[in-house]
Amino acid sequence: MHLPDGFLTPAVWVPLWAIAAGALALSTWRVNRRLEDRHVPLLGVLAAFVFAVQMLNVPVAGGTSGHVVGGVLISVFVGPLAAFLVMGSILAVQALFFQDGGITTLGANMVNMGLIGTFLGYWLYRLVSDALRGGRGRLAGAGVAGWVTIVLASVACSLELAASGTSPLGVALPAMVGYHMVIGVVEAVVTAAVIGFVSGARPDLLELPKL
Amino acid sequence: MKHHFLDQYSDRASCLHSLDPRVKILAFLSLVVVVVLTPLTHPHRFLLYALLLVALVLLSRVPPGFLLRRSAVVLPFVGLVAAGLPFLGGSGGSYNLGPFHVTRSALLIFVNVLLKAWFSVMAMGLLVSTTPFTRLLRGFQSLGLPALFTTLLSFMYRYLYLLTDEFERMAMARDSRAWRMGRLERMRITGNMVGAAFLRSYERGERVYLAMRARGFDGRIRVMRELRMGRSDALFLSLFFPLLLSAAVI
Repeated sequence: MHLPDGFLTPAVWVPLWAIAAGALALSTWRVNRRLEDRHVPLLGVLAAFVFAVQMLNVPVAGGTSGHVVGGVLISVFVGPLAAFLVMGSILAVQALFFQDGGITTLGANMVNMGLIGTFLGYWLYRLVSDALRGGRGRLAGAGVAGWVTIVLASVACSLELAASGTSPLGVALPAMVGYHMVIGVVEAVVTAAVIGFVSGARPDLLELPKL
Repeated sequence: MKHHFLDQYSDRASCLHSLDPRVKILAFLSLVVVVVLTPLTHPHRFLLYALLLVALVLLSRVPPGFLLRRSAVVLPFVGLVAAGLPFLGGSGGSYNLGPFHVTRSALLIFVNVLLKAWFSVMAMGLLVSTTPFTRLLRGFQSLGLPALFTTLLSFMYRYLYLLTDEFERMAMARDSRAWRMGRLERMRITGNMVGAAFLRSYERGERVYLAMRARGFDGRIRVMRELRMGRSDALFLSLFFPLLLSAAVI
């Protein structure tokens, strides 16, 4: 889902870059103010962790396989602002070093795979887990947030392509969303399983201060 | 385990490698932005960009095959755009490709996207193949990226390979104990693996911080040598930017 350079027109990528940069500035400011220096190594190790997790491919159905994006997962532990810093850093490294996603489109990719997964994902997770309560609620919240954010990211991606006139909505939307509705299952199951595992082994980590 | 490090070939020696990272960052990012902003109504400009890129690749002594193979990452998206072409309207006559009719303007959109994505990927590939990760981070930091990011990224780089190895060992252990699994079962097991890896990463993060603290870390990373612009940097800048800008306006 990493949009390369040239796929979006300036009218689309410039505002999205502005949104992403604004969210990064807000996160940096808040994290700098609220966290002590001890959290920076932690966020770095968590970024390496998400990066490594993204390399695990899980077969889904009919020859397709998907990997976890991890936005919801990280935001459940450290909160949406710190999680967005982690996801933004990963996307920037992927764009710079793997050419996975472009430079001009980095803002769009940060909105699709960072903002939606961390801000919206965290909100959805809280909404569902508060409604259902307890361990079950947490698992359901993680699963719902994981699946919905992946599908919404693919919707946003197709809208951006269509608004740029690169790919008509009638083709991009069904192709992208159909594929990610299947792939999203990986995000949902793995996110819920990790939360379940951690709440069994180190429940205190779910009560960390959130940003 | 062996890894292809993020910045493969960045330890070679060439005049491009020895430039100040800030110079290269500015040059290559400008190249990408200029290419992306160039309308396809001026096809000869893309030829000039291509010549500029070829010259840079030759200067860098990075194997061209390596850069070309890396640029294949744009292919899935190019495929998506290609699939949509027959459904894009537009004017200017149409071509028959098997059962599909593709208009001239739709074809132009495709060429536009393909060229821009490809040139940008080559430019960024060249940047990271000529600059080691740590120098690139220092370059970004002295260009104004907040220290929070550079510290976060240097930790990420430091632990990425360690954690990747850990995952590979876990996957090997899983596969040697359970070689046949249902899909959901496999996802659940992956979840447990990821959970275990998360705990290990978290605890490692805490240990690393304590170890650093014990050695006097106060939140600031100090460097032994400051970046310094030299004569070759000035020469490169005074050649590169006039060439790029003249290619962009001719």
